[in-house]
This record gives sequence, C-alpha cells and structure tokens, in this order.
Amino acid sequence: MTITRRDVLLGATATAALVPLAARAQTSEVVIGVIYPFSGGSAQQGVDAQKAYETALEVINKNTDFDLPLAKGEGLPGLGGAKIRLVFADHQADPQKGRAEAERLITQEKVCAIIGTYQSAVAVTVSQICERYQVPFVSADNSSPSLHRRGLKYYFRAAPHDEMYSAAMFDFFDAMKKKGTKIETLSLFHEDTIFGTDSGNAQAKIAGERGYKIVTDIKYRANSPSLSAEVQQLKSANADVLMPSSYTTDGILLVKTMAELGYKPNAIVAQDAGFSEKALYDAVGDKLEGVISRGTFSLDLAQKRPMVGKINDMFKARSGKDFNDLTSRQFMGLIILADAINRAKSIDGEKIRDALAATDIPGERTIMPWKRVKFDEMGQNNDADPVLLQYVGGKFVTIFPPQAAIAEAIWPMK
Amino acid sequence: MGLLYGLIAVGLALIFGLMDVTNFAHGEFLMIAMYLSFFLFAFFAIDPLLSAPLVAAALFIFGAVVYLLIVRFAMRAKANAGMVQIFTTFGLAIVMRGLAQFFFTPDYRSIPHSWLGGKTISIAGIFLPEPQLVGALVSILAFVGLYFFIHRTDFGRALEATREDPGAVALVGIDKNRVFAFGWGLGAALVGLAGAIMASFFYIYPDVGASFALIAYVTVALGGFGSVFGAFAGGIIVGLVEATTALVLPPSLKSVGIYAVYLLVVFIRPRGLFGSI
Amino acid sequence: MDKEFAARRRRDLIIAAVLAGIAALTPLFVKDVVVQNILILTLMYAGLSQSWNILSGYCGQISLGHALYFGLGAYTTELLFTKFGVLPWFGMLAGGVVSALIAMGLGYPFFRLRGHYFVIATIVIAEIGLLLFHNWDWAGAAMGITIPIRGDSWLKFQFLRTKLPYFYFALALCCLAWFVTWWLEDSKWGFWWRAVKDNPDAAESLGVDVFNSKMGAAAVSAFLVAVGGSFYAQFVSYIDPESVMGFQFSLLMALPAVLGGIGTLWGPVLGAAILIPLTELTRFKFGGSGRGVDLIVYGTLIVLISLALPRGLLSLFSRPKKTGAAR
Repeated sequence: MTITRRDVLLGATATAALVPLAARAQTSEVVIGVIYPFSGGSAQQGVDAQKAYETALEVINKNTDFDLPLAKGEGLPGLGGAKIRLVFADHQADPQKGRAEAERLITQEKVCAIIGTYQSAVAVTVSQICERYQVPFVSADNSSPSLHRRGLKYYFRAAPHDEMYSAAMFDFFDAMKKKGTKIETLSLFHEDTIFGTDSGNAQAKIAGERGYKIVTDIKYRANSPSLSAEVQQLKSANADVLMPSSYTTDGILLVKTMAELGYKPNAIVAQDAGFSEKALYDAVGDKLEGVISRGTFSLDLAQKRPMVGKINDMFKARSGKDFNDLTSRQFMGLIILADAINRAKSIDGEKIRDALAATDIPGERTIMPWKRVKFDEMGQNNDADPVLLQYVGGKFVTIFPPQAAIAEAIWPMK
Repeated sequence: MGLLYGLIAVGLALIFGLMDVTNFAHGEFLMIAMYLSFFLFAFFAIDPLLSAPLVAAALFIFGAVVYLLIVRFAMRAKANAGMVQIFTTFGLAIVMRGLAQFFFTPDYRSIPHSWLGGKTISIAGIFLPEPQLVGALVSILAFVGLYFFIHRTDFGRALEATREDPGAVALVGIDKNRVFAFGWGLGAALVGLAGAIMASFFYIYPDVGASFALIAYVTVALGGFGSVFGAFAGGIIVGLVEATTALVLPPSLKSVGIYAVYLLVVFIRPRGLFGSI
Repeated sequence: MDKEFAARRRRDLIIAAVLAGIAALTPLFVKDVVVQNILILTLMYAGLSQSWNILSGYCGQISLGHALYFGLGAYTTELLFTKFGVLPWFGMLAGGVVSALIAMGLGYPFFRLRGHYFVIATIVIAEIGLLLFHNWDWAGAAMGITIPIRGDSWLKFQFLRTKLPYFYFALALCCLAWFVTWWLEDSKWGFWWRAVKDNPDAAESLGVDVFNSKMGAAAVSAFLVAVGGSFYAQFVSYIDPESVMGFQFSLLMALPAVLGGIGTLWGPVLGAAILIPLTELTRFKFGGSGRGVDLIVYGTLIVLISLALPRGLLSLFSRPKKTGAAR
C-alpha cells in the first residue's frame, strides 16, 4: 500500500494548495459552502443555483439600496465590513459524496456555514455532518418535511415544506368549493424519489382529512422513458383535479404524453419542482395554459415591492432567466444566513446558530410573499406562506391566498 | 412505444449482436442525435422529420470515426477483450456526457413545435400519437431494410463472415476494419434516426441516453444476439410487457416486468428468442 | 514449478502483511479528515473490488449486478438495527448470509448463461432489486433509512467525528478479501477455475464440481460485498435505494479490478489506490464548475487505461515471462 501513501501525500498537498491563503485569515472574509449537483441529471439546477447565490453575493458584498438585510453598505458591518466568499462543491446527487464534500468544506475550506442542496436525500447526510461539526446548515430549497423533524440543532429552513404547500392547495380547494366549483375527486401523480413520495404522502393524508376522494394515486419511476401507461390510467380515472409532483424531465414528458393521448383534465395543481422551471414552459407552455403550481415566489410581487423586480433583473443578467421558485429561495437563503452571521459578529458555528435561531425578519424585507422569517425549535420557518400561481398568457399570476392574489383563478383551465 | 424501443435497439443489435462488440455508449449516441436534431431545428428551423436523414448521416460518420479511433483498438486487445470493450465504451459514454454538458450546458431542451409533436390520430377511440406512429413506421422500414441488407447483399455477408472468422476473410481480400467501420456507422445512423424522431416529442439533456440504454440492451438480448429480427420482436415484446405490467403493478415497478420477462426467456432459451450466438 | 509457485505465494503474503502494516500506521501521519475519507473509500473499494474479482475475475463470470449484494448488506443491517434494535455487528453477518444465499439461489439458473446474456442478467437482477426497495414502504421506500446518531459507540459502530474506527474496519475488510482470494488461488477451486478459463471444454469433464465451485465463489463474493455494504451504511449513516443499489456501484466495484488487472491478486488493490483518489480529486478540483470537466477527465482516463493496458496496470510491473496469477 505504498502507493496509497504516496497518493495520500499528493492528495494532501493538492487539496492544501486549493485553499487560498485568505481563507485562513480571520474574519476579513467569511467563507460559506454551497453544495449542489453540478454534474449529472440535475446539473441544470446546480448551475442555476450558482447564479442565484452569486446574485445574493452581489447584493451583500456591494452597496445596493434594497430594503433587504445587508443590502446597504459593503460586506458585513458586524464583522468590520468583511466580505462573503462562496465555495461551490458538487455532490452529484449522491448522499455519500454530499457528505464527503460537506466534510471537506468544513475542515479544509474552513467554511462557517453550508447551504444547499436541491436533492433532499443529500440534505440528509450534509445536515448530519454539519450537526457533527456544529456548523449551521441552511436548507435553502429542500422541501421534504422529514428533514426538519429529525430535531437537528444546526438545521434551518426558511422556506415552506411540502405539507405546508399541500395544505395551501387544499385551502384553495376548500375556498373554490365554497364558491360552487365542483372539486371532489383527485388524481395524484408523483415520482418515486424522496420528493415525490413525501409530497404524495402529504397530499393523500390531507385529502383524507378534508374529505376529498383520491381516485388514482400513481407513483411512477423518475426519468422513465415513457409515461403512456400512466397517463392512460389518469385519463380513465378522469378526476376533477390532477396533482402532479414531478421534476422537469418527467413534467415535460407528462404534458406531452397527455396531449398525445388526448387527456385534458379540468385543472392541474402541481407541486412545483418541474412545474416552476422555465425549461418546462419553453417546451410545453402552450399546452399548460391555466396550470396552477404552488410556489414561494411570484414576480407579481414586484408590483407591490419594486425591489423584487430589480433583483430579478440582476439575476436575469447573469442567468438569462427570471427568478423561479427554487432560485428565489436560494437567493433568500443566503441573505438570511448572511444576516445571522452579521448579527453573530463571529464565524463561530455555535454563535451563528444562535443568531439564526433568533432571526426575525419581517416579510416586507424579503423578496418572498412570506409573513416573516422566524425559525421554530426544529429550525423550520412556519410563517413562510406558500402561494398558488396560475400560468396565464405566458406568465405566472398569483391567485391564492387572497391577501397575495392579484387575480381570480380561471377554473376549469383552458 | 415498443417499436421505438425496437428502433433504438436495432442499431445496437447491429453493433452488439452482429459484430459481437459491447457498446455501453449507445445511449449517448442517441443523446448526440437528439441534440443534433434540436440544433438543426433551433438554428435552421428544420423539422426533426426532415433533418432525420441529415442526423443519420452525421451519426454514420460519428460511429465510423468512433470505431476507427477507439473501438478498433479495444477489439485488438489480446486479454480480457470483453472487459476492455465494456470499460472503453463506458468511459467513452462518460466523456460524451461531460462534453455534452460542457458545450450544450445542462439545460433541458425540447422542440416546442414540430410537424409531429403533440398530434394525435384517433381511430375508434384509440389514440395513436403521431410521433410514435411515424416512429413505428420508420422502425419497420429500417428493420426490413436492414434485414435484406444483412441477408441479401455482399456487404451483409461480409459482415457476418468477418465476425465469425476475421482471419479467413482477410485471405479473400476483405478489410476487417473497413467492414466494421461501416457496420458501426450503420448502427450509429440507425440510432440517429431514432434520435431525430424522438427529439420531436422527448426532452433532451446530457443524461437522456441513460434511461433508454438499459432497455435497449435488454431488448437486444431478449431477441437474441446476432438476429435483426430478434431485436425487432424484442422491441415489440418489451413495449407490450411494459404496458401490461403498468396495469397490474404500481407503474413505478413497470420495468420489473420487462426484466422478469428477460430472465424468464433466457432461463428457458439461453440464447434469447432468435439468437444465433 | 510448484516450488516457484509456493515461493511466490509466500512472497505475496509477506508483501501483503508489510503493506497492511504500513497502511495501519498511516493515521499516525494523516490527521486530515478529508484525506482519511479518501483512504477509507479507497480501502473499501479495494475490498469490494477484490470480492468482485473472485467471481468475475477468477471464475470468469462477469457480474455487473453486485450492487444488489451491496444494497442487501446495507439494508439488512439497517433494517435490523432500526426496526428490531439488532446491533450492526450481527446485522452485518445477517446481511452477508442473506446475500450469499441469494447469490447461490441466483447462481443456479444464471450460470447456464454465457457472455453478454449473463452480464445483462446480472444488471437486470440488480435493477429489479433497486426497484423493489424503491417501492417497499416498510423499508423506507425512496426516503431511505436514517441511522440515528447517539454518539460514539463501538457496540453500535458509529462515531461522530473520528474516522479511525471506520478506517481500520475498511482496512480489515480489504485484508480479509485479499486473504480469501490468496487462499482460494491455491485451493482446488482455484485450479478448476483456471482450467475452465483456459479451456471451457475442460469444464465439461469436471462438470458438477465446477458448477458447485462457481456457486461457492458467488456466495463468498456476495458475502464479502454485503459486509462492505453494511460498512458503507454505518459510515454514511444514511441509505436510500439509489445510493446503495444503483448501477453505478456495480461499475465502481468492477472498475478498480479492471484497471489494476482482472483476475489477479494485486489488481483490485492497485486499481482502487489509483482510481478512488483520482475521482475524488477531479471532483474537488473541477466539480464546482458545473461544466462537466470532471466527467471528461475521468472518462478519458478510463478509456486510455483500458485501451493501453488491457491486462490492467499490473501488467506494467510483471516481467515478460508471465508470472503471477495471470497464468
């Protein structure tokens, strides 16, 4: 095993060389780790996330006049104007690699917090490592409810989880029913990874509690080459509402297959993910007029809060895309984390954790339609109100809840 | 759908079956073809159906080049030839995915409006999506063409003879490399055809090939290596089994049906349904 | 000849002992957890690949479905632990036994298949396993199983920050797999396999015995891989179907052996020692770019090595006169 040893030494020097000197200097620079899939099937989300974080970085490190925490002035005033530096790492959607990367970021890059991860399975292992090293983990865009229920001390999620989203959908159904719309039967259609399973379970549970009948509950294999058989079943069940939980790839195929098989449901109420991706609407937007998706973000907000539009323009300049549900959450996640570091006046993990736990940002000082940002003892923000958006005329319009809505829902969809 | 699997599989059948070379990069060939088709559409507004021959021609060259530059050497390996082929083509697949991500970015793409996409013919209440229909038609034509090509032309015979005994054909003046390069090109061209048709109704991204590759291997093996007709029959069976399983089991398990049928078939007939090697 | 053979075997054993000793001391010098992590993975893959090599290298039955046994090991251990409170050490054994039994059950019909048919059958069976676990709600389905962390404990084989116990376990696994291979090489089975590989028709005359020995190889190989799976589950402390039973594991187990030299005693160790650090380092360096550079580098290396050295890297060291297990 001499070779192993030589490799070890090589490895050690190579990785040590990767750590710039500045990282070791105290507090003139605050290093935050960002863990995403940058290769493989969901690389697109990783690349988009990178742009979102860079946008947030610009807001924090440069002087801007938005009414967001840390926007004004350069860097973190609590740390003498220290700038934030991001280190990106690739987890390739593999929990083991996510774990290894988290450990590397913490021990070698000396990051004081980690943010990530898109895939919920990877968030499980990354947050465990963070817990062990007492480094805060901000779960920017994972929506699996099981994540915060593990009772980790260093886990924080500012955005809603799938049960909150699903509850909002059913609140919406209840409201529609009061207005006389017939909504009795539902078709659930979800993929078989954590996201789809969690979402499907949550929806089935709430439907049971509120007296909606689920006529089909289809779990399908993610990235299937064909969804014809599944769509055939949806079609023959013909429920009042179709509720898909799909990533982009399957979402595109689902919509195309539905069109081919001539299935047109009264309404589609989607669990975000693929249904908030530009790629999906580029591909099949014309077939989705009137689709409803849950979300945490809506560009409508720019009408009430002009800075949302301006920040969106900054992001668009980098990525060529509008903020969507994921990228807006990522942007906000970093702002909230940076705000806590600023208040902690330290890059010590425990102090940042305490500052995060004490976070209380009113909704108006975010780019989201949330009431406020305040974490419960599990690290979950329960005041992050989800919204429902309807795709009308090539853009999204907020239709629910009433206080955020700017239009009535079109039902049935065209 | 079964016929489309068949079309993807037939190119593989040619490479995998007739030349006895493992190609683990087959799904990536498909991916390249779909990207080509997409870019022809995006920049020159050529409908995938029209660009199919172009894509097939491009893939022909690509396949032949891959053979001449890489696979030729893999086949020359004296030891562990099987493993060398598996891992060379597997490495090639990774490189192709990486390159696709590098040049095309990992964005999901798809062709929003094509002549075929989203159109459906309805006969007596049964919906037949046009892309699949055209795909089926093309694949039947490709099969018939290939069948005659292999069995009725000098080249087809040369191909088969070369596989059986490269030394002997060299004596009668057939250049093994030329024959095989042509075979690889042809196999890749068929995938190109499949890719062009699929581009009109499927999404495109660097990893798209992976979902189809395994099904294609199973299809070829189910039909039996060395048999073009086998791959065709295998495709139909796979399509039917997939649809039936989805009715009986939860749809997320539908591939299990395909795999189980494969195992069943090879346990009874260790050389697949119509295999000769 | 026999004398030479015996001498070589003795030499191999001594080299192995020395290397294992050196490896056992490395944590004294290497304190960095990231490097330790790479070392653990390297040792684990060396062990896994060595186990794979028994069936696929020596026996010539190329399996690309060993992820099934890896996953079974991981799942048996963690299901027993989280549902019934059985300590991982027993779960590890149980996982190994379950995998070995399944491997033998599958071996019966599978060994009749040849070449590509066999390879595809192994891929397919692992894929079926993956799908079943993906849909098995009691086993956590897609959510997987999170191993509750209660603090450092040898009994439960979990440790918060220190990696040394994992390191020594991986080293032990690697040594065990190596030793089993070493021992098999000189056994009756080893001779049969060599005979069969050189001349398939000779197999006919040996008939039943060879078939049984192949079953044995499948069982041993599956057992060791399952133990590796249990280890991995404890090490990562979270498992889901995709991350322990995915096709990539079958390939990752085969790659070191193929690169190092398939069907050789030292190939898997050498292959893992080069491959694993390489994959980790390419990811560290290029992974954050989002442009797939790490894939390009990694894939190109695989192509080049398998083309240039079909016998594996080990062939660089062997003298023209063929010695070693390659006979």
